[in-house]
Amino acid sequence: MRNIFIVLGFIAAILALILSVTPLSQISYLPAIAAIIFGCIAFYISKRKKSPKKPIQLIFLLTIISLVLTTYKVIFNTAEVGNLEELELKKETSVEDSKEILEGLDLDEIDFEIEELPQLEGLEDQ
Amino acid sequence: MRHIFFIAILMFSSAQFAQNNTIGTGEKLTFTASYNMSGLMTEIAQVTMETGQVKTSKATLLHLKCTAATYTKWDSFFKIRDLYESYVSPTTLIPYLYKRDINEGNYYKFMQYTFSHKTNSVKSLMRKKNGKGVIYDTNSNVKISAGTKDIVSTIYHIRNLDIHKATPGDTQSFKVIFDNAEMVINVRYVGKEIITTALGKKECYKLALSLKNKNVLKGGVNDNLLYLTADANKVPVYAKFKIPVGNGELKIKSATGLKN
Repeated sequence: MRNIFIVLGFIAAILALILSVTPLSQISYLPAIAAIIFGCIAFYISKRKKSPKKPIQLIFLLTIISLVLTTYKVIFNTAEVGNLEELELKKETSVEDSKEILEGLDLDEIDFEIEELPQLEGLEDQ
Repeated sequence: MRHIFFIAILMFSSAQFAQNNTIGTGEKLTFTASYNMSGLMTEIAQVTMETGQVKTSKATLLHLKCTAATYTKWDSFFKIRDLYESYVSPTTLIPYLYKRDINEGNYYKFMQYTFSHKTNSVKSLMRKKNGKGVIYDTNSNVKISAGTKDIVSTIYHIRNLDIHKATPGDTQSFKVIFDNAEMVINVRYVGKEIITTALGKKECYKLALSLKNKNVLKGGVNDNLLYLTADANKVPVYAKFKIPVGNGELKIKSATGLKN
C-alpha cells in the first residue's frame, strides 16, 4: 500500500515539475496538490510501519520546487505578445493589394461620405 | 399583443438599414483571449480590433481589421498570427472586400471574398497549403442572400444596432458567409448588466449569440454572450464562448480612438 502511494506521489510530483516549466504552469497546481496528498498518506503509513521516509521527502522536495516555480511565474511573468513584424508587414501588403482590387469594383451605388480622421492626440485609454 | 411584438421586432430589425453612428476611423480595441484549461482560465492570445480608412480613386472605405496573436510563451508551442479584414462602406457598413489570413502552427489558409451586392454573389478565392507545403488557389463564385455580410463587418454591424430601442428577448438574425457557406447568427438581447472591466465598471447590453444549424457554438443560452457598453460607442468589453473543444473568454484591455 505504501509503495503504491509513493509511486503515485512520484508520478504526480514529476508531472507537476514538468508542467511548471511549460506555459501550462498554471495547471501544475493540480498534480502538485495530488502529490502532496499521496505523499502525506505514504508518510502516515511509513510512520505507522516505521519504514524509511527518504522517498517521501523526495516527493515533497519535487512538489515544492514545482510550486515555487509556478508561483514565481504567476507573479513575475506578464503576458506579452511576441514578434508582430510579420503580421504588420502582411497588413501593409494586404492594404496595397486591396486597393487594387477595390479600384476594379463598382462602388458607385453607395454614398461614401466619411468624416475626417479624428485627432488621436489627447485621446487616452478609457 | 401581437402588434406590440411586431413593432418591437420591426424597430430592432430596422437597425439593419441604420446609418453608422458608432464606428469611427482610428478606433483600436485590444482584448485578451483566454481559454479554459482544466478549470483555469489561461491567457493565450491578444486580439485587436482596429478601424482605418482606405482611399481609392472612386471612394473612401472604412477598413476593419481584426488580428489575433498568441503571447510569447505560447509561440514555440502553437503560434497564431491571424488577420481578418473587411472593407466596408463607412455609412452603412456594407462589405465590399473581405480577407482572412490564417497562420496557426503549420496551418495556413487565406480566404478572400469580393462582394457583388447587385448580383447577390461573392467571388471567392481560397489559398491553402497542401501536405507537401505547396500553396494552391481555388476560385469559386458563391451565391448569397441579400444582406449577407462577412464575419468582421457583422461584428461591427451588431455594435451599430439601436439596442437601446430593443426590449429583452428581442432577436435578430444575421446572414454571414464563412468558408464559402452561408450561415445564420441569431443575436438575442438579454438585458442590461453592470460588469467590471479594465475600462472600469460599465453598464452593458448583454447579448446572447447562437448559430442556426451549426455546431461551432455549443452550450445553452448563457454560454455564448457578448457584452457591449450601454453608451453611444457600444464597445465590446467582454465575450464568453463555448466551442466543441472547450470554452473561453475575451476581455477588453484598452480602447482608444472611440467615435463618441
